[in-house]
Amino acid sequence: MAQTIRVVVNGRTVERSVPERMLLVDFIRDELGLTGTHQGCTYEGVCGACTVHLNGEAVKSCMMLAVQADGEEITTIEGLARDGALHPVQKAFNEHHALQCGYCTSGMIMNAVDFLRTTPAPTEAEIRHALIGNICRCTGYQNIVAAVAAAAAAMRARAAE
Amino acid sequence: MTTMHKPLIGTSYRRREDARLTTGFGQFIADIPVANALHAKFVRSDRAHARIRRIDVARARALPGVAAVLTGEDIREVIPSLPNRSTQPLLPAHYPRHWPLAVGKVRFHGEPVAVVVAEDKYVAADAAELVEIDYEDLPVVTDPEAALKPDAPILHEGMENNIIFEMTLTGGFTPEEQAANAREVDAIFAAAPHTLSRRFRVHRCGVTPLETRGVVADWTRSGLRVWMSTQRPHIDRLVFSDLFAIPQNMVHVSAPQDQGGAFGVKAPVYREPIMIVHLTRLLGRPVRWIESREEHLMAVSQERDQIHDLEIAADDEGRILALRDRILADNGDSCEGVFWGFVMPFYGAAMVPNGYAIPKCDIHVRAVATNKSALSPARAFGTLPGRFAVDRMIDILARKLGKDPAEVRRLNILRELPHVSPTGVHYDYSDYLKVWDKLIETVDLAGFRREQAAARAEGRHIGIGFGTSVHASGVASVALVPMEGQPGYGSATVKIDSRGTVTVLEGDAPQGQGHETAMSQVVADMLGVDPEAVIVRVGDSVATPFASGTFGARGGSYTASAVALAAKALRSKLARIALHDARRNEEPDSVTFAGGKLIAGDGNPLTTFADIAERVIMRPLDLPEGMDASLEHTAFFEADFPMMSYDAVAVKVEADPETGRFRILDVTVAADVGNIINPQIVEGQTHGGIVQGLSNAMFEEFVYDANGIQLSSTLEAYKIANAADVPPMHVVHANTPCRHTPLGTRGMGEGTPGPVPGALVNAICDALAPFAVEIDSLPIRPDRLWQALRAASAG
Repeated sequence: MAQTIRVVVNGRTVERSVPERMLLVDFIRDELGLTGTHQGCTYEGVCGACTVHLNGEAVKSCMMLAVQADGEEITTIEGLARDGALHPVQKAFNEHHALQCGYCTSGMIMNAVDFLRTTPAPTEAEIRHALIGNICRCTGYQNIVAAVAAAAAAMRARAAE
Repeated sequence: MTTMHKPLIGTSYRRREDARLTTGFGQFIADIPVANALHAKFVRSDRAHARIRRIDVARARALPGVAAVLTGEDIREVIPSLPNRSTQPLLPAHYPRHWPLAVGKVRFHGEPVAVVVAEDKYVAADAAELVEIDYEDLPVVTDPEAALKPDAPILHEGMENNIIFEMTLTGGFTPEEQAANAREVDAIFAAAPHTLSRRFRVHRCGVTPLETRGVVADWTRSGLRVWMSTQRPHIDRLVFSDLFAIPQNMVHVSAPQDQGGAFGVKAPVYREPIMIVHLTRLLGRPVRWIESREEHLMAVSQERDQIHDLEIAADDEGRILALRDRILADNGDSCEGVFWGFVMPFYGAAMVPNGYAIPKCDIHVRAVATNKSALSPARAFGTLPGRFAVDRMIDILARKLGKDPAEVRRLNILRELPHVSPTGVHYDYSDYLKVWDKLIETVDLAGFRREQAAARAEGRHIGIGFGTSVHASGVASVALVPMEGQPGYGSATVKIDSRGTVTVLEGDAPQGQGHETAMSQVVADMLGVDPEAVIVRVGDSVATPFASGTFGARGGSYTASAVALAAKALRSKLARIALHDARRNEEPDSVTFAGGKLIAGDGNPLTTFADIAERVIMRPLDLPEGMDASLEHTAFFEADFPMMSYDAVAVKVEADPETGRFRILDVTVAADVGNIINPQIVEGQTHGGIVQGLSNAMFEEFVYDANGIQLSSTLEAYKIANAADVPPMHVVHANTPCRHTPLGTRGMGEGTPGPVPGALVNAICDALAPFAVEIDSLPIRPDRLWQALRAASAG
């Protein structure tokens, strides 16, 4: 059974007919070709690699059907940089070597961006706790935590300007 | 212009891979677009040991959108079985014959039994549900000791027992020599003032990467094209060529530019890629398979799983005089090309002496088939259980002697290097004691002991534990040829084009190690070009020179050396031509390459890098005599001696004797990794390795029930450490430049997890020393610690 949905993805409205059982992550990757959203755990919601923003809030796109996103707004990692300028979290991930293979990175960044929106001045413990839904197998998390803290500081400095 | 000479090697140059990976533009296996591809889904055994009576695929085949459903009977006459000549090492062992799909019977829960191919992955999943398999259950054996009993069910036809591999690694090559060595060891034990005997057990766990496996294959008239998650595309090409009787020069295997981690898991030759190649040949369309997490956790990624019955003899000061180890590895079904499960415990047995000066050893290893998934490689390749056993034993010895474990460990650390271990492994020149002393200084052991005493007076229990690790810095051909039937040399091509841009081609297939950055740093230093303008291409079996792949810390040792040699050859050629053009007679070495220019020894610029490149390639007139216009150089690097890296680890914990809960305060690693190309990358890989070691020790565990049913096939059940689980980490170095590489570099990172579990458990036992608690098996969790505390207090 197919259903037509209208979704705003990275600022652009797309209208597609999709099977009702299609997962949002498959819609993003296979229908829209936005392959920056990854899958690490095959629909358990444990690894966090598929994290995107639904109306600005981080969600795991393997835990939703595409039809549930009808009428909503989605941002993926590809849509995070604005006008060619990287988001401070993206920059900080490079500066602090917060990624190795890069497979968890999209979801990690999308989660961190949402977290910093609600918690602009987090403690280290708060950062670590905020990231428990995203598994990284390469970095041991230390540099990720440092990157998120640095991004928070950079964003606060920018807001103060 | 001396400012231009600042070398990039040794600096934390920001990773070049990150620009695409932080913006979602990486390209992993699942991201590769292939038009008109069919999707494959494997149907896997839902029992551990059973005869296949009948498979009914009619309903699956009838589902609209299904292109094919195949079983073992459909392929047994069509695809050659493994082992074949490209997947069998030279070690004497039983290499069980197998096909990509089970033929006759299944031997573990998760073994591929059938495969469904359909127009989309949802239909493939539906059809897989419709395949009906009628099994006749057979007795199951899931314990390696039970598998050795005379009445144990035997997994593989033609075998009299379940012993896949058995070897004595000490004393010589004949049974007589080994028996004589064993008698000498016995005599040392009989005369020694102290002997200890313990059984150490490390459970089944591994380093499952976040990205699972995947293959896209397309068989056309021009040959076989394969994209796959792999650490060794050239080896895969060889295997496909042999199995499908297609010339190697018609097989093109590419590892994707980006791979989501591997840590060893993507090195073997597995069943599934062979099946996917057969399917594209059969169906005449591209076929795609992306592994699910459940499949991955059930079929691969499982390592460690060894029992060590370890004995040591020591003198009154704590010097180890002799060591005896009987190792038993739970090898699973043992069907896995190149590694066959047992290559890891074999290597682990060879590395049992570690960086300790143990004069005499008697080490014997057996790997036994059971109804589990075959052991597959995981970072610290077979060595983690032995590290745990020996490092725990040193602490137990120290307690017995009433000495600080750090003191006893230091007494036993190798001082004479280079060294050949009692198992015949060559360690190159280094200074392990310098690394150890750096560790002790960094953790401030004396200060910690004071803090510990003060805390104990307040009823708090903190402790420190240590572990050490000599580990691979690449694997030399002398070791890799017998072990895997494959060479260890490094290879790379450096190409300069007519506009002076530089391309590096390497046949390895990195999965997060940052080769694009590190190799760019090497080339930029050698040729004086902008590292941002260097392109590094990896993992393409057609474009790159033959290479064994990315594993065993080969990048910083062998591959970087080949890149340096290739760049050096081109540099020398360009310098000669520039001097020739300037009518100067100096030696090529007098020319400096910096800032995109070639500068003569007297400081005068000769030409720019771009101009000389164009001049050589496009205007090859009046070249020095005997010289051609090629600015492409391929170099192969084979070290004179096998090389090693060295780590010493300290873990600090606080433990609660009432509840068994413990908290890791911090972890420090001191290491010798030789000259460092990129400190940030080295530190990052060390962090990752530490956490993998902790996660193995505390959380990860593949669990099988008594019927061999896997209970840990999701990331809910197979828990991996998250950000809130891990402590702060410190990484320090006491490096000795490697004498056998052109840049003095060593490979690093491969063995990092190995010594961590032993250090953690040593720390816990140190914290709880007043309670005389001893932990000899993993995993270590609060419930187990609480039980051990109860046993100790009852005891």
